[in-house]
Amino acid sequence: MAKHKFLLHEEEDSVGVAVADIEKGEKVYGAFLHGDKLVDVVANDNIPLGHKIAVKPVKSGDFVIKYGEKIGKCYQDIQTGDWVHTHNLKGDRWGKK
Amino acid sequence: MSTKIIGYKRENGKIGIRNYVAIIPVDDLSNNACESVAKIVQGTMALPHPYGRLQYGPDLDLHFRTLIGNGANANVAAAIVIGIEPNWARRIAEGIAKTGKPVAYFGIEGHGVLKTIEMAARKAKEFTQYATAQEKVEADLSDLLISFKCGESDTTSGLGGNPTAGRVGERLIAAGGTVIFGETSETTGAEHILARHFATKELSEKYLQTHRNYLKVIEDSGEDLMGSQPTEGNIAGGLTTIEEKALGNIQKAGRKEKCPVQSVLDLAQAPAGPGLHFMDSSSAAAEYITLMGAAGAVLHLFITGQGNIVGNPVVPTVKISANPKTVATMGEHIDVDVSGLLSRELDLDAAADKVMACLVATARGRFTCAEALGQKEFVLTRLYPSA
Repeated sequence: MAKHKFLLHEEEDSVGVAVADIEKGEKVYGAFLHGDKLVDVVANDNIPLGHKIAVKPVKSGDFVIKYGEKIGKCYQDIQTGDWVHTHNLKGDRWGKK
Repeated sequence: MSTKIIGYKRENGKIGIRNYVAIIPVDDLSNNACESVAKIVQGTMALPHPYGRLQYGPDLDLHFRTLIGNGANANVAAAIVIGIEPNWARRIAEGIAKTGKPVAYFGIEGHGVLKTIEMAARKAKEFTQYATAQEKVEADLSDLLISFKCGESDTTSGLGGNPTAGRVGERLIAAGGTVIFGETSETTGAEHILARHFATKELSEKYLQTHRNYLKVIEDSGEDLMGSQPTEGNIAGGLTTIEEKALGNIQKAGRKEKCPVQSVLDLAQAPAGPGLHFMDSSSAAAEYITLMGAAGAVLHLFITGQGNIVGNPVVPTVKISANPKTVATMGEHIDVDVSGLLSRELDLDAAADKVMACLVATARGRFTCAEALGQKEFVLTRLYPSA
């Protein structure tokens, strides 16, 4: 079985977390915290350990889901394989000033 | 796995795992005298801090509660309190004395610092010999009041470190133990989930009101916590928003059916009984652990992602990390490596076994990394400026 390079909390999550540094163009596998299912994604960016990779597209203004919960809204379209961080995702609780 | 420990049974029945004679300054002016006594008399420890003058109201109450609580902590065998004026010193000493442990207090006014040091050192010598005459007793890890907090968190905290702590908490509580967690600001975005962890609807509403009060303080200041929550370290570690950080943070509470939260504690307030408790508290590491010491915690479990190095003089602090880079680059600060959770070489129960083994070893006397390295941040929480 392929070795995972990112982990996902829940089935409905739109992002996973890199557990090793991921290189742009690399085909990487993601495992879920529970169960044996794997997903694969081609990375569009370099994504360092601990940072998020999109496993599905999210439209600008839509919520990004992690832990099965809303973690903020993206403010530009996110494609599968994109690095998701402060350049395209913002919290919905503060930071609106 | 054995959870048998050896500790010190104090006069009030509480179990401690260290045996300090604490030399406690009431105020900034008395740090010098306390540190001088601690240099002269072996086995004693000063707890210097920068406050204690012209405080009033709830801020002064918290000052007293924090110093009394740390003096009363079961890791402290005996305490000496020194203040510039005798009245506040007496008030703190009387608070500590309710535990039944030996306490003495001294005022510097009317004596000068040299005479005060001599008087306090003579008493400290008596106390250190009292402390070192205490026999250790057998006890269980679940007899200890243990506190949890994460810091310099990153996405590995929510994936690995915090769920491991949650599993450890479940085991401690199943054995009759007592655990405190908190960090009000870092529940923002996950408060609707955490609210479901409380044992009753009333407690759930009390927690939500506490959180609303906290948000109001921030909003009334005309600010928000962008730039502070998440911190720069959190963002470097991959955390993007407060909601994401909070969802990781609350993993420490374990599964709600295993350990419903039994109370919402005020700052530095001791829990009334066993089980899991939430303290309304800052997320600043050194302030937080000092408040936990005041609430009676004798052991702290600290979960870090990017590598917080905090320690506390009264409460031994065990650090765990699931981030393999942090374990590799800052290994001297990390007591338990649970990075196998990310590679899936460890499952949560195996990670919890490793942490439990370290808590037991620490309770039996082994120094934590922070103790070995001399990290002992004693930081008092202020509510507002002095008069």
